[in-house]
Amino acid sequence: MSLFSSRKTRFVDTDILVIGGGFGGCGATYESRYWGRNLKITLVEKANIERSGAVAHGLSAINCYMGMRWGENQPEDFVRYARGDLMGLVREDLIFDIARHVDSTVHKFEEWGLPIMLNPETGRYQREGKWQIMIHGESYKPIIAEAARKSASEVFNRIMVTHLLMDKAHPNRVAGAVGFSVRDRHFYVFRAKAVIVAAGGASHIFRPRSIGEGVGRTWYAPWSSASAYGLLLHAGAQMIQMENRIVLARFKDGYGPVGAWFLLLKAYATNAYGVNYEATRFEEMKALVGKYAEITPVPTCLRNHAMLQEIKAGNGPIYMHTQEVLNSREKEEIGWEDFLDMTVGQAVVWASQNIDPKEKPSELITSEPYVMGSHATCSGAWASGPEDCAPADYQWGYNRMTTVEGLFGAGDTIGGSAHKFSSGSFTEGRIAGKSAVRYVMDLKGEPPQVDEAQIRQLEKTIFKPLETYAVGRNEIVAGSVAPSYISPLQGLQRLEKLMDEYVGGISTFYVTSEPMLNRGLELLTMLKEDLDHIGAEDIHQLQRAWELNHRVWTAEAVLRHTLYRQETRWPGYYYRGDFPKLDDAEWHAFTASQYDAKTGEWRMSKLPVHHIIA
Amino acid sequence: MPTFTYMTRCDGCGECVDICPSDIMHIDPIHRRSYNIEPNFCWECYACVKACPQHAIDVRGYADFAPLGASVRVLREEAKGTISWKIRYRDGRLKEFTFPIRTTPWGSIKPPSDYAPADANALSSPLLAHEPDALMVAALPMLLAFEPAQG
Amino acid sequence: MFTDNPFIAAAAFLPPRFLQVYVILMVLAVVAGTLFDLYHKRSAQFFTQQRAQSSAAATRRLSGADVASIAARTFAHDVATFGEFCNPSRRLSHVLMFYGFVLYLVTTVVMVFGYPADPHTPAVLPVLWNIGALMVLIGGYWFFFFLRVNVVHDGQPPWRLVRADLFIVALLASVSFALLFEWVAMAGNPMATRVFFGAYLFFTTLLFVSVPWSKFAHMFYKPVVAIQRRVEEADGSSDLPTPTTTGGERCPPSPT
Repeated sequence: MSLFSSRKTRFVDTDILVIGGGFGGCGATYESRYWGRNLKITLVEKANIERSGAVAHGLSAINCYMGMRWGENQPEDFVRYARGDLMGLVREDLIFDIARHVDSTVHKFEEWGLPIMLNPETGRYQREGKWQIMIHGESYKPIIAEAARKSASEVFNRIMVTHLLMDKAHPNRVAGAVGFSVRDRHFYVFRAKAVIVAAGGASHIFRPRSIGEGVGRTWYAPWSSASAYGLLLHAGAQMIQMENRIVLARFKDGYGPVGAWFLLLKAYATNAYGVNYEATRFEEMKALVGKYAEITPVPTCLRNHAMLQEIKAGNGPIYMHTQEVLNSREKEEIGWEDFLDMTVGQAVVWASQNIDPKEKPSELITSEPYVMGSHATCSGAWASGPEDCAPADYQWGYNRMTTVEGLFGAGDTIGGSAHKFSSGSFTEGRIAGKSAVRYVMDLKGEPPQVDEAQIRQLEKTIFKPLETYAVGRNEIVAGSVAPSYISPLQGLQRLEKLMDEYVGGISTFYVTSEPMLNRGLELLTMLKEDLDHIGAEDIHQLQRAWELNHRVWTAEAVLRHTLYRQETRWPGYYYRGDFPKLDDAEWHAFTASQYDAKTGEWRMSKLPVHHIIA
Repeated sequence: MPTFTYMTRCDGCGECVDICPSDIMHIDPIHRRSYNIEPNFCWECYACVKACPQHAIDVRGYADFAPLGASVRVLREEAKGTISWKIRYRDGRLKEFTFPIRTTPWGSIKPPSDYAPADANALSSPLLAHEPDALMVAALPMLLAFEPAQG
Repeated sequence: MFTDNPFIAAAAFLPPRFLQVYVILMVLAVVAGTLFDLYHKRSAQFFTQQRAQSSAAATRRLSGADVASIAARTFAHDVATFGEFCNPSRRLSHVLMFYGFVLYLVTTVVMVFGYPADPHTPAVLPVLWNIGALMVLIGGYWFFFFLRVNVVHDGQPPWRLVRADLFIVALLASVSFALLFEWVAMAGNPMATRVFFGAYLFFTTLLFVSVPWSKFAHMFYKPVVAIQRRVEEADGSSDLPTPTTTGGERCPPSPT
């Protein structure tokens, strides 16, 4: 801090700190308040909770709803479905737990004002598919944000949390978090008895398909900056399945959703010659993954695999034949609303390229890889499961607590808990919120204590990129090229390129191998060192600098897990060129890592996959 | 397609600066009106477009892949509970849609602390708030005895 | 006193003819500056193009009476009462600044041309001059410290000046020094009177000469574009969706 700095330190003391105001965080806030009437609950968000997170546009469907009230589905069936989609490797206890609660979440959403489409014949929610229901979801996030505002003691918008704080007296216990305001530029120290991390997963760690402005149109929000993992890694939390990156087959360039098209409108995809290629690729899939090729519905990664093989064979572009199914105004509205509620950019692509879906098919493509925990993928923290049904080695206390005491997670943060989507993430937030209340109420003895010296050190670290730029800038006349620092964007581009080329991005058709991964780790290590030389021109760039930091550390976890798992478990998500087949004998297990901040070492291990549902 | 602000319509109110999830709508130092500082981090979520009281923000398709000349404009009528879209194709075709956005008045959500507090039994059970009633089934599903088996 | 023509004090060191020529030069500077801005930035050309495009896209033809009625409504709503502003504080501060400035300018011109160095200037003129100046300062300092969007919403400290501040700073400095000059003259301090008058002249010159680079000209552009916007709503050339509520929802509540 310079002599004339007006930067202040603002201390906030609270009982439960919720980091991230998306669906997971809003669910945690609501439920914490319900069970902890007299507790102080503080919600912190780097943007504004009104539209923050992955549901900024809105959504056109809720992809996790059982419909138990109508006997439509049971939680056990959902576990089987998610397990099949992830080729056998999921936390069945966590998924069962979400599936049995999610209906109450959705019913509350309806009560709060979310318009859910109804089936005119049955009067029930209009199903998109077996697990999905259609909604008019443009204001999905504002509605949920209202519930969170009515629950929290205080909501801090525009605060970027960069580090968790550990208890100085009690080993492996969280004590709060630090960050900075992207508006008033002050340093914030949150001291809490329990912390729930419900921040974003990782977009922008692999090179996107577009190259200019278009990199903004990633499938997953560009502001999902891997803070869920970046915060937890440094706190020493055990992480699992970080290699389980997801690739999505979506409408090209705009990345518009395909669910309603396939499931509700019953459109189909073919190669450029009109051939329904998926069916023709069955035998070859069986050779790769054995009995898993027989799972129905076909796992997401295998559908990707079929599309990739088709494209590599030169039979692309792949087309979704929208023109075959829009034979009424009602269907046309469903098709357009599907995009306008959640991916307006795809509507802009149609309008710009003169594509009327009633008349012309649209291209599909597989996306660049993403790492997150709430979709057809489940990277994230190893968490304690529900006390009533989790196997003994899956629980060590409070539901959704990580291996760090007092540190809970929800949404993309938690690993093994696939197919949550919006309603499931909110539900997991609720679970974590209730657990955190119980934890706080049970807390005996001294509450967590933060370390003054550590806070001051972190303050220097956090604001250093501003210093680096302001001082280093004197060396050059002007422009973006300086010998002593790089901008956050320059660092991000380097990360995206190395991950793409060595860790299985689009340029290698998602293939990697041990030699490639080792080379990638060399380059990533140098990038990590260069993080000390990020130059941030202003407070907005400082936010970008810390987003880069979280992304780089997450990328290292992804790389190390990818190296560790010596098989190709999810062809279509990524491939190990040196271990091209699925290997249940050795690898029917979770990969786990734990980073030791004192020694700088990563400890890799396997954790068992228990099938608690037949 | 990234956003841009119409010079003639923006009156510098700051709503877009407040709402942008990407922190990329900021105030131009020459005109004191808003502009998109980082189009390559614009997701086209339309949060700013919908929030602008003057309809001063619009979107131009990402130059990487969207030919010029189309427009997708929106009118969010919050009190009425509707959202309306007007889509003009590059070749001039027009499509218009209106969809509902909420079935209850804004601000009408009942705060969780307005519910009767739950008892200690419920706190230590697996039940979440409003359950089992909000599940609309008799009881929360539980897993019967299981034998943990390796897959 | 406040009922005396403030410019009499300047007559001690400047002939009244000087002030008259100065006022004319400042008016010319504004006109020239605005025309230069329109021409050099090609904004006049752009606006003409836009009007042609929107006329071509019109689905309804508006009569002369329609346009006149639109202009009248725009004047009454957007211009006269600054109805475009949704935030009541911003609206009020602009009302104060605008009407204060107009009052102050008009009374200046009347006193400089009609009652040069005249000790029998009707008291109403200096009183209105002072009221106008105070309105500018109240509205202006309130705006500068508490309402500027880059300070309130974008997190900038109030003392950091950017180019958009040129207009408001020059305006506030000009009017502040005008009042300071008047007060030290009333107190009978000849040295201070000259110094503050010099500062007053400097910032007033800056205010009017910097038109091509400042926000001054938005006073003229805003009403024109407000009319154009209503014309587009009326003649169907607007590419915004038709509101489902009549007239649409003005100023939705801010969620943030």
